[in-house]
Amino acid sequence: MDFRFTPDEQAFLKEVQTFIDQLLPKDWMGVDPDGHNEQADEKLHQFDLEVRKKLAAKGWLGLQWPKQYGGQETTMVKRFMLEQELIYRGVPYWAISAALMTGDMILQFGTEEQKQKFVPPIAHGEVQWCVGMSEPDAGSDLANLKLRATEDGDFFVLNGQKTWQTGAYYADWSIVYARTDASPNVKKQKGISTFLVDLKSPGITMRRIPQMTGHPAFAEIFYDNVRVPKANMLGVLNGGWSVCLFGVATEKSFGYWLINSGRRDLELLIKYCRETKDHEGKLICEDPLVRSRLAQLAIELEVGRNLGIRLNWMATKGMTIIAPACQLKPFGGGILQRLGNLGVQVLGLYGPLDEESKWVRLRGRMKYLYLGAVAMTIEGGTNEASRNTVASLGLGLPRQ
Amino acid sequence: MDLALSEEQEMLWKSARDFLASKVPKTLVRQMEEDEKGYVPELWKEMADLGWIGLPFPEQLGGGGFKFLDLVILLEEMGRACLPGPFLSTVVLGGMPVVEFGTEEQKKAIIPKLCKGELIMTMALTEPSARYEAKAVQVEAKAEGDHYIINGTKLFVNDANVADKIIVVARTAKKQHPEEGITLFLVDRKAPGVKIHLLKTIAGDKQCEVTFEKVKVAKADILGKADHGWAIVKKVMEWAALAKSAEMQGGAQQVLEMTIQYGKDRVQFDRPIGSFQILQHYMADMSIDVDSARVSLHKAAWMLSEGIPCRKEVAVIKGWLDEAYRRVTAQSHQIHGAIGFTKDHDLELYFRRAKAAELYFGDADFQREIVAQELGM
Repeated sequence: MDFRFTPDEQAFLKEVQTFIDQLLPKDWMGVDPDGHNEQADEKLHQFDLEVRKKLAAKGWLGLQWPKQYGGQETTMVKRFMLEQELIYRGVPYWAISAALMTGDMILQFGTEEQKQKFVPPIAHGEVQWCVGMSEPDAGSDLANLKLRATEDGDFFVLNGQKTWQTGAYYADWSIVYARTDASPNVKKQKGISTFLVDLKSPGITMRRIPQMTGHPAFAEIFYDNVRVPKANMLGVLNGGWSVCLFGVATEKSFGYWLINSGRRDLELLIKYCRETKDHEGKLICEDPLVRSRLAQLAIELEVGRNLGIRLNWMATKGMTIIAPACQLKPFGGGILQRLGNLGVQVLGLYGPLDEESKWVRLRGRMKYLYLGAVAMTIEGGTNEASRNTVASLGLGLPRQ
Repeated sequence: MDLALSEEQEMLWKSARDFLASKVPKTLVRQMEEDEKGYVPELWKEMADLGWIGLPFPEQLGGGGFKFLDLVILLEEMGRACLPGPFLSTVVLGGMPVVEFGTEEQKKAIIPKLCKGELIMTMALTEPSARYEAKAVQVEAKAEGDHYIINGTKLFVNDANVADKIIVVARTAKKQHPEEGITLFLVDRKAPGVKIHLLKTIAGDKQCEVTFEKVKVAKADILGKADHGWAIVKKVMEWAALAKSAEMQGGAQQVLEMTIQYGKDRVQFDRPIGSFQILQHYMADMSIDVDSARVSLHKAAWMLSEGIPCRKEVAVIKGWLDEAYRRVTAQSHQIHGAIGFTKDHDLELYFRRAKAAELYFGDADFQREIVAQELGM
């Protein structure tokens, strides 16, 4: 047993850390790994583009991809290291990761032509992707999606609606899961296909959906006779469900992302408590109740981080990680909700203040986290859906 | 990075699992809860012959030369089996400080016998104040010529009823800082003036009140340096918290597995109860508690084995398991229903042990304070 990285990996980590130090403005508060702040604010989006270009220039987009498609053919370990470090520091990474996930999916299911056309621009940081999954009647029950794709010569014609789609407003392209067989005698999962859709296509309209944080990170997208070339179907006709499951599986680090993002927020809060005095002139961190609650969150984050280290290690060894990933997801989301809650409480009456206020503390980060973390036990698989997966795939519990 | 057990560790783990499954049925566990000694001498000898008691000690002293991580793997299986007896006390509270801080004579006199199963040890640290703190050490040892005379009461001493040697933590000088002026003594349990009174606990383990009435100890029997004993205690507390965590981990793992099996077997409303979503979610949460603990336990033990400072990591895993083990056993009771809280079922053994283990070598509040300090608060 050895929890250390190899010297080569350690050197890479150092390089990544130096890169991030140079990249981030001073006193950077960080963004959340779900893209909800990064994808809703023009300034943050511009920074996201800058990060993307700099990562591409380093050759760090698609690290483990084949060189012929713009990759570096390095190990998964390095991709994980880069990812976790970026998330820990709160670098905008969500949109980049959505593109990388798309690249992974195209490399797995795409035709040679699709690989050559779509993957190198991702590695070069030239294009932003998002994913169209949820619909008004297809949330956790994704297979119930109704957006229709009907064949018409060399095209599929898309009609319907996607919703709660993160990052669509700034994206160039979207993966779209659509119904290609609606026969009542066909299982819902067997009538879905996957399409790579240019969001500038005629017939697409979009409405941004503001969230309770005040940020419009979601969009609903309406497809009205949108013509998509057949060459842009990913995988086989009606084989979209396995493409989707693969995509979801590659997103399985999300729980670990939440943990690493939480480490930054906890450090921020602890720093505040070490530097700020209460009304009696005592440092906040000397209050035994505050100390204990902060330490408890530190314990949870550390234990969760260890679970994440194990998850990534299992992934690099080619082990099945769907159940372990589904353990980490609710764990991480829950911690961030408790952290946001405690953060606002520790700030007292300053806690609920808007970030624009001259009296605001920690630039409103704790208030934002309190609101933003609600999403974290829902997006990317609700806690309940995750537990179902742990119970069936991980623990082997019966369905009936 | 490699998080898998080595081949040797796999073998240790498997042989421990098999041995304990065959030699320690739950009937024996229950019998030992009522027994005055609380362990089976023949079994103790067999464990010594297997090399378990000497596992972490140097080969030249008759030990196995293994690392703390290996000991943790063994302790996990002991916790799973609810193995009764003074293993943790002898190895971690007794043998380890002797090897680390003892003189050559002390090591040679104690460790080979200990490895052979011929010597049982423990440490007498806590007192009626029930705190694991330096200022709680009030039992006095006064120097008189070549000797010290110990007077006072130690409380909650593990396995003192069967220990041959007790490491007694005593105050030898009143200094400004409570951590100064503490000395450790190797005391024979049978020395004149030592009295042992067995306490009954929720876990059915053997905690003792140990009184010292003018107990004479030679200066040669000081462990470490006079007045500087607290540094040793701090180390032992770290080892003991980690060792206890390993037992707790094994217990939690066993409870999780028992519960999943029960969920598959128990039929109500014409279906296995493990098919009900709410119980599935309870078990999913239990698995998160247990799996996150295991990797954290191994990380802390690995760091200790590699000589990497791990005060925080040990506090993290003990603090986590203090609550997680109890949570897991309580949730398991809810899933097992009525049978779980009867003496006909094994589960209650774990529920009782979880609560006691939570308090031994620092409860969650104690561990959180260490974590807070380590984070600079």
